[in-house]
Amino acid sequence: MGKEDTSKKRRKLVSSSSISEGIKQSPADVYKRVVEFEENESQLRPAEKDANLFRKICQEIRQLFADIAELKSKDTDEAQEKINAKRVEASLHIVSLKKLNRLEKVRTRAGRDALHKEKQRVDSTHLLLQNLLYEADHLNKEVTKCLQFKSKDEEIELVSVEEFYRDAPKEVSRPEVTKTNEHQLQLARLEWELRQRRELAGSCNELIASKERVAAAIAAARSRLDALSPHLRDVLKATKPLQECLALRLDEKRDEARTASLLPTPLFLLYANSSAYSDALGANIVTVAISGDEDEARRIDQNNIADSELIVSNDSDSDQENHDEDRREKKKRHHRTSKVSKEEKAEAKKREVFKKHPLHVQLSVKVNDTSLNLSFSYLLHLKIVVVTLTVTLSKPVIGVSAADVLNENCILNELYPADTGNDSPHPATAYLMKSAGITEGFHYFISEVGRPYIWAQRMCGLDFMATVLDDSKSNKIIQPCPTLSVTTVENFIFTLRKRLKSRVELMKELQDLESGKITPVVDTEWPTRISGSLTQWQSISWPEFRQSPSTSFVISDGLVTQNDMLYRAIITRQSAKLVALVALKSDYPKETPIFSLTLHWNGTHHAGINDDIRDIERVINTDFGSEQVKKPTLSMQMTKLLTYLDVLLETTGSSEFPPDKVMLSPVRGRNRVKPYKFLKQGTGVFVQF
Amino acid sequence: MLDKILYNTVLCQTFSPCGKYLVAGNIYGQLAVFDIDRILNPVVELLSADYNKAKYIHTIGSENQICSLAGTEKFLIIGSVNEICGWNWKTVLSMKLGKPSWRINISPQSILESVDVNSLWLSDDNEKLYAGCGDNNVYVCNLEDGQKICTYSGHTDYIHSVHGKNEQIVSAGEDGCVMLWDIRTSKYHNKLEPHRNTKVSRPDLGIWVGSAALSNDWIVCGGGPRLALWHIRSLDAATVFDIPDHGIHVSFFHDDCIIAGWCSVARAYLKCRLEHVTAGRARSTGAGWINSTSSNLI
Repeated sequence: MGKEDTSKKRRKLVSSSSISEGIKQSPADVYKRVVEFEENESQLRPAEKDANLFRKICQEIRQLFADIAELKSKDTDEAQEKINAKRVEASLHIVSLKKLNRLEKVRTRAGRDALHKEKQRVDSTHLLLQNLLYEADHLNKEVTKCLQFKSKDEEIELVSVEEFYRDAPKEVSRPEVTKTNEHQLQLARLEWELRQRRELAGSCNELIASKERVAAAIAAARSRLDALSPHLRDVLKATKPLQECLALRLDEKRDEARTASLLPTPLFLLYANSSAYSDALGANIVTVAISGDEDEARRIDQNNIADSELIVSNDSDSDQENHDEDRREKKKRHHRTSKVSKEEKAEAKKREVFKKHPLHVQLSVKVNDTSLNLSFSYLLHLKIVVVTLTVTLSKPVIGVSAADVLNENCILNELYPADTGNDSPHPATAYLMKSAGITEGFHYFISEVGRPYIWAQRMCGLDFMATVLDDSKSNKIIQPCPTLSVTTVENFIFTLRKRLKSRVELMKELQDLESGKITPVVDTEWPTRISGSLTQWQSISWPEFRQSPSTSFVISDGLVTQNDMLYRAIITRQSAKLVALVALKSDYPKETPIFSLTLHWNGTHHAGINDDIRDIERVINTDFGSEQVKKPTLSMQMTKLLTYLDVLLETTGSSEFPPDKVMLSPVRGRNRVKPYKFLKQGTGVFVQF
Repeated sequence: MLDKILYNTVLCQTFSPCGKYLVAGNIYGQLAVFDIDRILNPVVELLSADYNKAKYIHTIGSENQICSLAGTEKFLIIGSVNEICGWNWKTVLSMKLGKPSWRINISPQSILESVDVNSLWLSDDNEKLYAGCGDNNVYVCNLEDGQKICTYSGHTDYIHSVHGKNEQIVSAGEDGCVMLWDIRTSKYHNKLEPHRNTKVSRPDLGIWVGSAALSNDWIVCGGGPRLALWHIRSLDAATVFDIPDHGIHVSFFHDDCIIAGWCSVARAYLKCRLEHVTAGRARSTGAGWINSTSSNLI
């Protein structure tokens, strides 16, 4: 078969060469055509067949060579011939091999070209892909950017959709479009918003304009009023001669009222109520005045108005400040700055805590010729009222103990039960002082500040008790209560006058007692002959009073306390000496004096060990055995004490004391009581019961 | 004015027949009833601030002082001023006192005077009541009909105390005499004057004898003079008790002890040793009286 193929090829080759030779074209053309032909041929022929053909030809050539070699070895002519034939045949085979090789070369070149072409195409396509990917990426970015974009309209607060459909006219809302299209809905709503805002801006402008008109009107009116005031002042000036002529105090009152308006509320209440009381009852009993630095008060007043709206927050602020200051101080301590400045600072802080309002209310109460001047001040920070007192006497008091009775501290002591004024009645004071770094109690500062009596707070309408009871609202700011002030002022003035009156009387009594004189009892129900005499009367201190064994009983029962006025009276008759320790309550004469007795005669006797002394104390200190309704006065009790001493001494039967009093029986009963009861029968007789 | 109860003085006391209650009388005419059991054996759970205070306080109609008390099975006998009254124990131990069951009047000689019944003593058979009075007499009354049977007169001043034993009555008076009376003859057959004995007398306190009591062979008495034990027949002071007192107000025998009371303090002395040993406060003083010092009596 191979043979046939090669023969065919050969033929073809021959034919083609014959054609080309026949046409006789230009050599370049021919070459081109040859090339073209070869190319076509290589295309048309399958490569495998050629390969097989090639192997077959090679086989045949080998076969030929082997035949030739065999023939050569025979070395015959016939063989020569055959060799020639075979040589030709082999040459032909080589030609066809050459052809095949050429074809193969062409084919390889064609394949390489095709590969190259293909490669180029792939490269360009790849490039295109890259470009497209890049573009897609860019577009994606742009899309996200667009999606993230915030439109201005989102910040605008729009009316809700329901309201929009309800209120907006049809041409704006266009429900047929907007119900389905959200974008259109948004647009419509924005449009509606714009329209409404425009309307509102219009009305706002209108209002501003009208406001300006009104302001202008007001300014005009004010200027007219201002113009009026000089006229009024002229009128006032003109009335002055008339006022003087008629002795009217209109101007002064007006001034005072103006000052009063600067008072802090509690003091203002006090001032208003007590001046009303003074107006009603006449100035000879009670007078009220305001004293102090008016300008300073005005400044504080203005500050207050500015601050009034922010009281609470301010308070906390100041707390904070305190804290900060503390911290700063601590830091300073670390830095060891000079000690003096720190102390000064503390001092200043203290002063700040006890800062008084610059205005004081002066209340003076008069009885006979003695007058009490009470000065009420308001502590701005502690929010309590303190009182200082000065006493003016018509004539100087003789005697030490008598003068004490009208002493500034003593006269107001326990004006009301248990109201000593030693500590602040405001529950918050302790905390405020602690926060200011003051460790001492309030009573420590009383000498500089004054006493915060409870009645003083009540007169100013401050009732701390109420806040204490009302626990649930303990945080509320204590507001002055006008009604409380009204009732307290009258009560106080009444009580104070009564106290003052009784103190003046007591002072006279004490003056007499100190000079050894006992005012005779006017009451005729009592014998006047007294054999003993009062040799000493002086005031004593609490430790002295406590030392005596005779007082242990009254002290342990709480009948006498440190707040009472304490005196020692010494009564002598011949060798007998009676020491009487007398405790006067602040409330005297409402509370009668309490006597504790010690008798020095034949030993020392007091109520604890001697029944006779105890009996005398019983009849003096209690109302046992006396029918008198009236409370006995101090001098009356002293008279009685002297008489009882006589009775006691005379019943002993000692020759030193001759019987002088008439008595039915000197002793009676198993307890051997002496006759201490006086019966007005004949010259008067003493009986036991 | 202070409360007069601060200066209260208890003059007398007695136990109820059941022994559960102590009754005490004071100078203001008040009668306090103490529940002894509650005071001496308090139940801790029920302990209140006033557990040792009087259970009831009665006020006798007239505000006269209650000078003496005595108790029979049925009646509490109160010696007051100018009268002796008997109250049924039931009413005394109830919330409200009511009226006395009976009354014996002792009328004074003049309007100004009044007679204190300073001491009451019941005979052992509970039939006769001996009352030592402020008019210097001892009255003997029959408890059946309240009649005065007889009067022992002989003291020259008022009588402080009456006591009896073995057909004998002893009375002590302000006049300084201790008299021994025979029940049968109603006369005194012996008189003792302690203030005349130099061992016993204390002139600065006076001659008065505040209390006297009898045992079989002995008399104990004291007052202004010292507390002393006297032999009945020889009338000699056998033992003189040296006590720092300001006058003896009460003295009596109790088993082997002598119990004596004076101002502010009450102490018991043992006789058998013939030396004074303080044995603490006598049982009956345990009861305080309306937050005051029960000063005079045991």
